[in-house]
Amino acid sequence: MLNRREAFAGLALSFGLASDGIVGQAWAAPAPISWTPKTLTPEQARTVDAVAEMIVPATDTPGARAVGVPQFIDRAVGTWCDAGQAKLLRSGLDQLDVDARAAHGAAFADLAPAQQTALLTRYDTGGDPQRPFFSLLKELTTIGYFTSKTGATVTLRYDPVPGDYRGCVPLKEIGRAWATS
Amino acid sequence: MANLNTKWRRENTYDAIVVGSGMTGGWAAKELTEKGLKTLVLERGPMVRHIEDYPTATTDPWDAKYPLGRLPPQEVKSHYPVQNRTGYALTEYTKHFFVRDDEEPYTEAKSFDWIRGYHVGGRSLLWSRQCYRHSPIDFEANAREGVGIDWPIRYDDLAPWYDYVERFIGVSGKKEGLPQLPDGVFQPPMQMNCVEEAFKAKSEARYPDRRITIGRAAHLTAPTEEQLALGRGKCQNRNMCMRGCPFGAYFSSNSATLVAAERTGNLKIRPSSIVTSLIYDEKKSRAEGVRVLDAETGEESEFYADVVFLCASTLNSTWVMLNSTSKRFPNGFGNDSDQLGRNIMDHHLGVGAQADAPGFEDMYYSGRRPNGIYVPRFRNLGDAASARKDYIRGFGYQGGAARPNWSRSLTGGGFGAERKAALTQPGPWMIRLGGFGEILPYTDNRATLNHAVKDKHGLPTLTLDVSIRGNERAMRKDMQAAAAEMLDAAGFKNVAPYDFGYSPGNGIHEMGAARMGRDPKTSVLNAHNQVHECANVYVTDGSAMASASCVNPSLTYMALTARAVDHAVSERRKGNL
Repeated sequence: MLNRREAFAGLALSFGLASDGIVGQAWAAPAPISWTPKTLTPEQARTVDAVAEMIVPATDTPGARAVGVPQFIDRAVGTWCDAGQAKLLRSGLDQLDVDARAAHGAAFADLAPAQQTALLTRYDTGGDPQRPFFSLLKELTTIGYFTSKTGATVTLRYDPVPGDYRGCVPLKEIGRAWATS
Repeated sequence: MANLNTKWRRENTYDAIVVGSGMTGGWAAKELTEKGLKTLVLERGPMVRHIEDYPTATTDPWDAKYPLGRLPPQEVKSHYPVQNRTGYALTEYTKHFFVRDDEEPYTEAKSFDWIRGYHVGGRSLLWSRQCYRHSPIDFEANAREGVGIDWPIRYDDLAPWYDYVERFIGVSGKKEGLPQLPDGVFQPPMQMNCVEEAFKAKSEARYPDRRITIGRAAHLTAPTEEQLALGRGKCQNRNMCMRGCPFGAYFSSNSATLVAAERTGNLKIRPSSIVTSLIYDEKKSRAEGVRVLDAETGEESEFYADVVFLCASTLNSTWVMLNSTSKRFPNGFGNDSDQLGRNIMDHHLGVGAQADAPGFEDMYYSGRRPNGIYVPRFRNLGDAASARKDYIRGFGYQGGAARPNWSRSLTGGGFGAERKAALTQPGPWMIRLGGFGEILPYTDNRATLNHAVKDKHGLPTLTLDVSIRGNERAMRKDMQAAAAEMLDAAGFKNVAPYDFGYSPGNGIHEMGAARMGRDPKTSVLNAHNQVHECANVYVTDGSAMASASCVNPSLTYMALTARAVDHAVSERRKGNL
């Protein structure tokens, strides 16, 4: 189910309306996250919940939050990442809140979408020290999303048992990329 | 001991013993049992039953334990530092089919990637399933060029056995009528995709000698009655082969040869049975059987038979022979020639070219074809036009075109709705050609027994000292350049030659350590894969190879095995073993 923030983010992107002023006025406090982290702190989990949805937002198909990507990342930090990666993710999430408070006086999850976008754009493009963190988080979010059941079967096309191989098929007949290769 | 020995004699005697249950062990078991011999297959690893022991065969992406099924870096570092060197094969979906390197030590005098699976079925579960015949040129090259030693057989000796093996395993492919890549018994070929078709048309117009064909692969595309009766079915184009195929659509020991062997009622498989040495009877000048260490209990026992087939994979059969010393064979079993453990070959790879293939944006494909395209060798074929001055022998290319999916951009491309939309569409077409080059037999490329490093059972291990030389290095330059030329001729863009480097073993085609030959002074095995000095021991895995060719070798190992069993059974009948 879309909450207000997602609905607004969708609109902002559709109409190019995003600006601090308008977003700020329309903004209401986000709901607390609906899951209990196993590895991350509650604050880190709330941040990851917000960032993942910024990386893969709900559009005409569900976004990262709806398919459980934040939980996927929480699990990956606990069971998959090596010590260096886990530290990079934890400290990066903490730093994200530090940067959010410094710039806008609130935790990242509580910022307006345009403010969140601006901060993540800084991480994504410049020589910001948070770039390696954002890169790893983006990787895990992307994997978590497109390997989720919804990501693979709704956003993409997935066929566990294709049967035949057809080498030359018009793309429009398939519509979207195959989830697995 | 005397009592134990009597008990063993009574309970542990068979007509034939096969050491190993992989590609060649499965074939030896099938042929021996079908010809009526009570056969014991000894496998050092655990049982893997077809389908029921493929725990990940149908796991969907969302049920992966780890991101993309990639193992945690710590787990790789602790248990699989060598097995991970392929870069693609080891995942959470396949790790149970690979050895743990920390439990199976060996010493790399020079870097050597020994990629292994210890379980019933061995690497027949993991192979790339490409099937190409060695050609007449391959069998003649050593003699003509004065390299290594002459093969004691020619193509015509093996041709009927290639037919026989192909008919049973099922090979999909297209006849091309090329002398350097003999046609076989094929099931219908898989399709090329649009870009591959365009590549074929344009590159062949410019380079008519460089044929482009669909890969010949051991996947059923039109199963025969015999294959259906074994419970095998048509390839479903899932491309999850290395997890084990629940359709039995690609050939493995587990899906085919061991099933056939079991149905004869003559087969006994004993897992967890490490063969530590051959038992040699000095008086009768023959092998009595083998000594076995139970991998689970540590118990030692002996098994006896009229004939022993070593099919444990090149390096492990070599290990068994090196570890089988006696008064008669102080330097290893059948090693009068001092060639045992020498002449180790592989195929060198990791070199070729790739390109972007614009112009086909509205086309895609359906299904995950577990196969690619193949360019048969076109260098040094005996005519002036194909002759090279800078190296002898040749290479083939394996490759293909594809549109990468979302995984093409895990970290790039910004973030948000626009990136998401882009990743839901297939990426731009890419095409790649990767070379597989022949490595010559060098006597100092060798495996030796290392008594200083013991495995967990207290057994000596191997030291591997293998490297490529000037001929291979010169060939690699051409492998890059010729691939780039072909992609260029096809009009593809951003043609990028590459050489990622190559570590011996990385082709996972290690072979040659107990070569066949005409002369016992320079070879370990004769023309029928019999140990020259001990007629009732046959070695039919990759050890037997006198040269490597540039084609994937499993088909040849299988054909040699079937041929050797035919010989052994006939010799046994005549009382010659």
